[in-house]
Amino acid sequence: MKVSLRWLREFVDLPTEDPRRLTEVLDGLGIEVEGADELAVPFSGVVVAKVEAIRPHPSADRIRLVTIDDGSGGKEVVCGAWNFEEGATVAYATVGSVLAGGLAVGERKIRGILSPGMIASEVELGIGDESGGILLLDRGEPGEDFAEMVALPDVVFEVSITPNRPDAMSVHGIARELAAYFDVPVRPVTVDGSVGAGTSAVRVRIEDPAGCPRFTAREIAGVSVRPSPLWMRQRLRAVGIRPISNVVDVTNYVMVELGQPLHAFDLDLVPDETIVVRRASAGEALTTLDGVARVLDPADLVIASPDGVLGLAGIMGGGSSEVSETTTRVLVEVANFEPTGVLLSGKRHALRTEAVARFERGVDPELPPIASARATDLITKLAGGTVVGSLVDEYPGLHVPVTVELPEHEVERLLGVAIARETISGYLSRLGFVVAGADPMLVTVPSFRPDVSRPADLVEEVARLHGFDSIPARLPTGGGGRLPSEEVIRRSVRSTMIGAGYFETFTFDFSDIDEIRAFILDPEDPRGNAIRIRNPLSEEEAYLRTTLLPGLLAGIRTNQTRNRSEIALFELGTVFLRSAGELPDQPRQLAFASVGRVAGSSWEKTPNRDASDAIGMIETLFASLRTTYELEQRPCTGFHPGRAAAVMVGGRAVGVVGEVHPSVAEWFGLDGRVEAGELDTAGFSPRRSEFVAPSGFPPVVFDLAFDMDADAAAASLLDVIRRGGGERLERAVLFDVFAGPPLDRGRRSIAVRLTFRDAERTLTDEDLLPVRREITETVERELGGRLRGV
Amino acid sequence: MIRPDDLHAHEAATLASLEGASSTAEVDAIERVALGPDSPVTIARKSLRDANPEDRREVGMAVNAVAAALQAAFVESRHRLGMAEIDARLAAERFDMSLPGRAPALGAAHLVAQVWDEIVDIFVGLGYTVASGPEVETAYYNFDALNTPPTHPSRLESDTFYVEHGDDPEGVLLRTQTSPVQARWMESHDPPVYIVVPGRCYRRDAVDATHSPVFHQMEGLAVDTDITFADLKGTLEYFANAFFGSGRRVRFLPHFFPFTEPSAEMHVSCFACDGSGCRVCKGTGWIELLGCGVVDPNVLVSAGYDPTIMSGFAFGVGIDRLAMVRHEIPELRYFFDPDLRVLEQFQ
Repeated sequence: MKVSLRWLREFVDLPTEDPRRLTEVLDGLGIEVEGADELAVPFSGVVVAKVEAIRPHPSADRIRLVTIDDGSGGKEVVCGAWNFEEGATVAYATVGSVLAGGLAVGERKIRGILSPGMIASEVELGIGDESGGILLLDRGEPGEDFAEMVALPDVVFEVSITPNRPDAMSVHGIARELAAYFDVPVRPVTVDGSVGAGTSAVRVRIEDPAGCPRFTAREIAGVSVRPSPLWMRQRLRAVGIRPISNVVDVTNYVMVELGQPLHAFDLDLVPDETIVVRRASAGEALTTLDGVARVLDPADLVIASPDGVLGLAGIMGGGSSEVSETTTRVLVEVANFEPTGVLLSGKRHALRTEAVARFERGVDPELPPIASARATDLITKLAGGTVVGSLVDEYPGLHVPVTVELPEHEVERLLGVAIARETISGYLSRLGFVVAGADPMLVTVPSFRPDVSRPADLVEEVARLHGFDSIPARLPTGGGGRLPSEEVIRRSVRSTMIGAGYFETFTFDFSDIDEIRAFILDPEDPRGNAIRIRNPLSEEEAYLRTTLLPGLLAGIRTNQTRNRSEIALFELGTVFLRSAGELPDQPRQLAFASVGRVAGSSWEKTPNRDASDAIGMIETLFASLRTTYELEQRPCTGFHPGRAAAVMVGGRAVGVVGEVHPSVAEWFGLDGRVEAGELDTAGFSPRRSEFVAPSGFPPVVFDLAFDMDADAAAASLLDVIRRGGGERLERAVLFDVFAGPPLDRGRRSIAVRLTFRDAERTLTDEDLLPVRREITETVERELGGRLRGV
Repeated sequence: MIRPDDLHAHEAATLASLEGASSTAEVDAIERVALGPDSPVTIARKSLRDANPEDRREVGMAVNAVAAALQAAFVESRHRLGMAEIDARLAAERFDMSLPGRAPALGAAHLVAQVWDEIVDIFVGLGYTVASGPEVETAYYNFDALNTPPTHPSRLESDTFYVEHGDDPEGVLLRTQTSPVQARWMESHDPPVYIVVPGRCYRRDAVDATHSPVFHQMEGLAVDTDITFADLKGTLEYFANAFFGSGRRVRFLPHFFPFTEPSAEMHVSCFACDGSGCRVCKGTGWIELLGCGVVDPNVLVSAGYDPTIMSGFAFGVGIDRLAMVRHEIPELRYFFDPDLRVLEQFQ
């Protein structure tokens, strides 16, 4: 909202008009100043003059010689405009004056006649865009400084008003706040509540008093609709409103001045001269002033005649009863509407008008008669006409003043600074509250402050005037902080992934169902049946993700299309799974995906990633999080059927790891083998590390190689070795795998290096013969593996 | 019988040939001959057994002296030549240290995650506990428990994502703030409360420079018997200095939020220009950082706390915004961009 300093001056005498200081004060009051625009005078040396005589130019038909009085005697100037006669009041650019754009005015000979200065138009003065003739003034005395007439210079503040402050949505309201801050009086709006002759035929019926607590109507007859005088146009332009006509300008003027939206109807276009305030019926139509034909919702409150809808209450009028140049009888509506209804209707019709901005905050219900009188006064002055009868004022929602008890101590309890009762009471009084009693104080809230109803609200008022800066700062000791274990695990997982060369990425939680199902290929997998957002931004963002992997695959594609070949991404995020509970299941997961060569230096060839890298990532993660796990090879949806495994912790599957199915990779447009994994981070439960002092005795080390079925899992061999090795087996490391001659087809050799050590004594080869035999026999019996000659 | 003169001659001859040795291998060869089984030193030593006492003494002393001298000479030569040989070998092993190295792979945490952890740690240091809750939340915890009237516009479908779950079409939603966690926490914990709630939130905003339907927020809440606006100021001033570097000035301007009364917006003096006005602060010298306030009594009441005894403060800060401001990230969308050219800059 824009507020001009000159306008503020009408209501308050400020001890300073320095824009920087006023910005600071307003900011400190909670009226955020987004900018202060200092409007300079675009001209100099221009005064008001009166046209005394006009005669033709002796040698030109299209121009005339005009004698004017500029307060310092008569002068004859040459003028090409014809839109004025003797007696007109004009803006005279004296010799030596400068007009808009830096045009210097001197004595110039025009068709043989010397013209000392000139009569100026709006465009020449730089105050408007009217160039069809000279600017005609409706007031001003010869010699008067013209800058003053157009209200320049001025400062226009752009302020942002919080949604709880309807009272500050006006010049008068901001003047009231400044007056309270500087502890100076604020002048009331001067109104003339006169009653006109005769009786108005206008009738008002409020059918929905909850939506419309008050409605006033005023009839003015005999108006003449034409452009407003310069001062009015200037004032509206300064605050960013385009002047339209005197009647409409007045409604805008009063709205800006008092914060009360109002509307003028052409009374002759209101059927039956009857106003009905009601809810719209379903399907009812209205073409609003912006020319848009709208279908109304039964929740929309409307202003109607018995014949149909005239306007959307508190939002925008309709075209059918619009004031125009032919209007002679005006009905001025000044009403009060319930805030939420206006807000919701405005949103429904995507109309954010100045009226909505005020009504949605809750306009003072006591304001309509005052605003109506102010508008009536201005209309009769600017457009002529006379008031007919008295004000129609339907007021079913009579305002009952609120009184709040404020214990003196409450201020210190909430603000942390002691403020004397007299000071508190002074602050509140300055803001328009009426304070009685001692402790508690009994504070009556003015009708323009619907946001105040509790002690805490009053404490805020006290704080605003006392100044937030004047409240001391204190650092409380807190309650003993800690990170919950899930947060610790999350951080640990993240640093492990980073250390393994993965980059963390963030993706949206919602996606295209096709993308989810491109990965969750198994129709039996519940993750393919993702939860839908009822009101998505688009179909591409309509379903809650059930797996993080599609997002990462899309991320790989992004990088591949940008010519990157080594890509490793991970994400820590939530997935959403259907559940019969109050809320969906929302496990927090880790997913990673990578493609391209394994890390090395830039000039050495390293191998391409394969499933082994994904397995290795899982090993590193579980080792760093001290959690025991197993991989169970099996087909997993979205993964290569022969290169995938479930990650098992305590017999429960907590995730999956492997190579992304080539068809899935193709769907996502990816090149190369994509290695990936996804885990529920709740699967990590770090055990306490236990310390065993290393033995000082030497180890016995020997290798065993078995000729085995190629499909037998390596893990099963290691398992047999660990079982057979007993407590003295310190390490069993698989160090060689090969297939081909001399082995038979379908066989492979797996070699393991075993390290044995005893805590108490030096072992001999003989000590281990039984162990060696036991392992060999078990491998042969259980796995069909034959010990190869070492 | 070898005489001492012979031994001295042998010593001189050996030392002379040692002079000419150019490698430790040559030294070894000379040593093998000079002190070997056929050398005068060994022969003389063997002959001592049968020699008469006088000869034994005379020749024995000479043998020992010559052997010791030669051994010392061999050690010295081997040392001298060994050093040179190592030098030569190492010189041949020269490696171009300007070649790119075989670095262990190093990824990066997302910048928002880094800022997230950093601000959480600041508050843990101040005695706060980290709380978390579900992203898909009930309308009750997201709105009702937080003093949001049933007709409040933030509940509109134009602003909030509703999720198809359960019977009530407006019963389950993607949380629009992390505040529901505060409500859940207060429901299950008695005061004092000192928590921070970092998390992901959702609003039905299209993506532009400063908006995204997905964003990250951290809320803080302190409720105790003696918590005032002064504590709010002290805490957030500490936070601003911890995050942006010491010497920051802060200011609090009155504002409006439904969960706090009084409410304020905190500005911090620009870390880039120290308040003189620059690109980062758009010339104002101040950066709008967060919203905060004294906890509204209605919120305490719905948590079952007595608002005449308990008081508190709350604040909410955009984690993305903190990251954008401090690292001068021009648009929010970069935080959801998987482009490695973006992510690598977060290292």
